[in-house]
Amino acid sequence: MSAKERATKTSFRKKLFGKRFFRYRYAFTGYAMIAPAFILLTVFVVVPLGMAVYRSFFDYRAYAAVQEFVGLKNYLTILRTTSFVNSFKNALLFAAVIVVVQLLLSFTFAHVLKRCNTVYGRIVRTVIYVPFLISGITASIVFLFMTNYGGGLINGILLYFDADPIAIIMDKNWARIAVIVPTLWLGFGYNSLVMYAGLLNIPKDYYEAATLDGAGWWRKLIKITLPGMTNYFLLTIVGLLTGALTMFDIPFLMTGGGPLESTLTPVLYLFNNYRNVLQTSSITLAGAILVMLIVGALNAGVFFGVQSKVSDD
Amino acid sequence: MTVVVVIVLFPILWAMPAMFKNRSEIFELPLHWLPHEWSTDNFKTIFGMDDYNYFLSIGSTTLVAVVSVVLSLIVNMMAAYAFARIEFPGKKFFWMYMLSTMFIPGITILLTSVRVVTALGMLDTIWVLIVPGLASGYNVFFFRQYFFGVPKYMEEAAMIDGLSKGGIFFRIFTRISTAPMVICGMSVFMGYYNSFLWPVMTITKNTELYQIMQLIRTLNSRYTGQYGVVLAATLMSLTVPFGLYCFFQKYIVQGISIAGVK
Repeated sequence: MSAKERATKTSFRKKLFGKRFFRYRYAFTGYAMIAPAFILLTVFVVVPLGMAVYRSFFDYRAYAAVQEFVGLKNYLTILRTTSFVNSFKNALLFAAVIVVVQLLLSFTFAHVLKRCNTVYGRIVRTVIYVPFLISGITASIVFLFMTNYGGGLINGILLYFDADPIAIIMDKNWARIAVIVPTLWLGFGYNSLVMYAGLLNIPKDYYEAATLDGAGWWRKLIKITLPGMTNYFLLTIVGLLTGALTMFDIPFLMTGGGPLESTLTPVLYLFNNYRNVLQTSSITLAGAILVMLIVGALNAGVFFGVQSKVSDD
Repeated sequence: MTVVVVIVLFPILWAMPAMFKNRSEIFELPLHWLPHEWSTDNFKTIFGMDDYNYFLSIGSTTLVAVVSVVLSLIVNMMAAYAFARIEFPGKKFFWMYMLSTMFIPGITILLTSVRVVTALGMLDTIWVLIVPGLASGYNVFFFRQYFFGVPKYMEEAAMIDGLSKGGIFFRIFTRISTAPMVICGMSVFMGYYNSFLWPVMTITKNTELYQIMQLIRTLNSRYTGQYGVVLAATLMSLTVPFGLYCFFQKYIVQGISIAGVK
């Protein structure tokens, strides 16, 4: 802020001071209206967060009368815990695969949707949203049924081709695929619709002008579609990343994190350890805070980035 | 396009007839979609359990979700209106405060939240399912954006007619916000209906309050391998959200462009 700007701002404030009462005449109503949300968020989000942060700096043991301040020791311990580090590696792998595959699938399908503007297209748009209503628990059960070793769909098909059956959730790599596929399935329709909305947002004239100038589909894609959808892409990527980094239901029910921790995710690790008596809860809490620092910072960064861009326009 | 729709619906369609297959038929090879013999054994097992009541669970989950939708709409829309249309000292601080809660993942505060609700004596009551999730920074943000788009002359006219700020909110803003209310309400409903981790941590002794996802998990470990039973329980639980979606789908599919990009 330049000196001149600051000066105008103070003089503006001075002018306002006399009118302050008028400006804030509904302040009481305002406070009353935000009070419920403020109190609920404080009690159920901010206080627990404060407790978690506070405890993560102490050595909490059920049997010790006095808690000892240990600084960052819990954080170092959790970072040296192989399972926790592995769970992060898994999450990053899942995130990479899910973001790339889901983006490609939904972006492609959004183009198909855009071409079809008939009643049929509307029905398709309504139907593909349906898996988004399904919980991870439900999806896990349906996919466990399909991947069953004895007579599930996949092995039934393999049998038809005289191939050997696969113990899908028992094999390291297959188990990872078995966890990723339902996740993709649940989000595909929703993400396609978001991408579709993004495509519709780009004015048609741009494409017409480009056609007149003799641009091919590739140039149109690079020069018009992608720049026109930056925000949609950003938000979809962040949504997918957050979802993948905080995956819980599906690995919990389908594989339980196994085999050999190949599908263990950070949230699943933390969940398992909240009930673990051998590890003090402060160490687990340190891990939980690390998850927040990564996932929360990622979200906040993109959120404020997109916000300031929108207001620039 | 038809192929994609079939692939998307396939897992559900494939699993559906399995509800009616008996234990020996369900994994019989070669594969067949429809059962040779329609049996209702699976349903009898589910409804015949003496320690868990399936319908009660669906009912209580739906009740929790509906009450939560109503309360959360009131709480979040009120705050959003205040942030969009009323000036008060410290507004910026309160706004940032609420917004920042949006970026705290549930898992980070899970353990300490359980301590808080335990201290409040809410454990194993219906309130622990409803209250902690009501306020949401994101939903306040979502409605605030929408309210910014409402023309001011409506309010001015109402004020001349002698309506207070609170009156304007309840009489006017709640009436003109049907579309965002449906979109937000549906996502709140799904969040509550499909919630699993929170009920598992907070409803431990009171099996009457078992939420449906919790019950399905319990059935899944009890009837390991008997997929007919588990699938029947799972697929029946879908009727509530599917029914709601059929009713509101017009708003929802259109609304994704609003909700998706804020």
